[in-house]
Amino acid sequence: MSVVSRAWAAPPDLDGVWLPDVKDQKRQEKENVPPWMPAVQPQIAHLAAEEKAGRPFLVLSHCLPHGMPSWMVITHNAFEWLTTPGRITLLGEVDGNRMRRIYTDGRPHPEDPDPTLHGHSIGHWEGDVLTVDTTAVAPQAYVAISEAVGVPNDGDMRIVERFHLAAANVLHDDLEITAPKVLTGPWKTTRIFRRYPDRHYEITEGECEQGDLVTGKDQFGNDIFVSHPQNPDGSVRTAK
Amino acid sequence: MRKAKVLRKIVFVAAVLTFALSRTASAHHSGAAYDMDYPQTLEGTVKTVNWTNPHITFVIEPDAKDGKPAETLVFEVSSPGVLTRSGWTKHSLQPGDHAVFHYAPLRDGRPGGFLMKVTLPDGKELSFSFSPTEQ
Repeated sequence: MSVVSRAWAAPPDLDGVWLPDVKDQKRQEKENVPPWMPAVQPQIAHLAAEEKAGRPFLVLSHCLPHGMPSWMVITHNAFEWLTTPGRITLLGEVDGNRMRRIYTDGRPHPEDPDPTLHGHSIGHWEGDVLTVDTTAVAPQAYVAISEAVGVPNDGDMRIVERFHLAAANVLHDDLEITAPKVLTGPWKTTRIFRRYPDRHYEITEGECEQGDLVTGKDQFGNDIFVSHPQNPDGSVRTAK
Repeated sequence: MRKAKVLRKIVFVAAVLTFALSRTASAHHSGAAYDMDYPQTLEGTVKTVNWTNPHITFVIEPDAKDGKPAETLVFEVSSPGVLTRSGWTKHSLQPGDHAVFHYAPLRDGRPGGFLMKVTLPDGKELSFSFSPTEQ
């Protein structure tokens, strides 16, 4: 007797390079505002005003990874989805060590985790949907709606995501972000990513710190990177 | 006129050209420092290409006018990954290339801007978008 149930069906193939829908990110800046706590709202209003005035706060000025959930929410760069036995790995572009591991081998979250910018993620398939639960995110990781407007989550954040294909090459990440220190309740948002198999896109190596370095030579003639002093002329760096 | 204001504030930096040529943006960030409502155009020559993360920068020497000395601007653009997927290579613009540069100037009047599009002498245009449907 052959029994084919949905539970045994192979999950959809999500491997490949996915590009974020930046236009939709911009749309949601205005149309899907997080439920900021009253104490946080003045901070957000100030950040929005500063951006409007041309003095954007730089959420990403430190060369750290976006962290979660900002990577999924505000990134302008592609990521590569890699499925291997027992885990899914998301490799990011720009900012060293932008990487998420989603364990799919049934393990639980650690009892005494070391918080990280991307947190600890475990996932399981429910039919065609990958449900991912993320905890242990460092309190310094931003809840941000843009590269200029966001606040640190301040701790105890939990993120539940449901990844699913809305079309053959359109990935939706339905996020539910619970950040009790800065949000009055869960913030739900869907972020859209697209892949273009015919274009054979790759993610590129991207070390943010290279922007502060120039190529040079050491005393032995070796090729090295050297720090470059801040200079008032020609710099496009904006003050934080 | 905004362009005149921007140009007035451009400082001749030959003495510190090395600094100006090699300094690049630090981290990626909101584009709000650039005034997208006042797009500018200038013709000039590429002096330096900083094909690096997180953002690429080009140092441009505008064409001299009325015998004025050459002045440089720094144009920031997106990342190597985004430009590569938009059809650029690190050779698309090289030192010595002459082109028309379309950019959004820095709001604070410093000599630079966000590069929106480049028109090469043969009419070919270089621009970028985050996804190919926008190209």
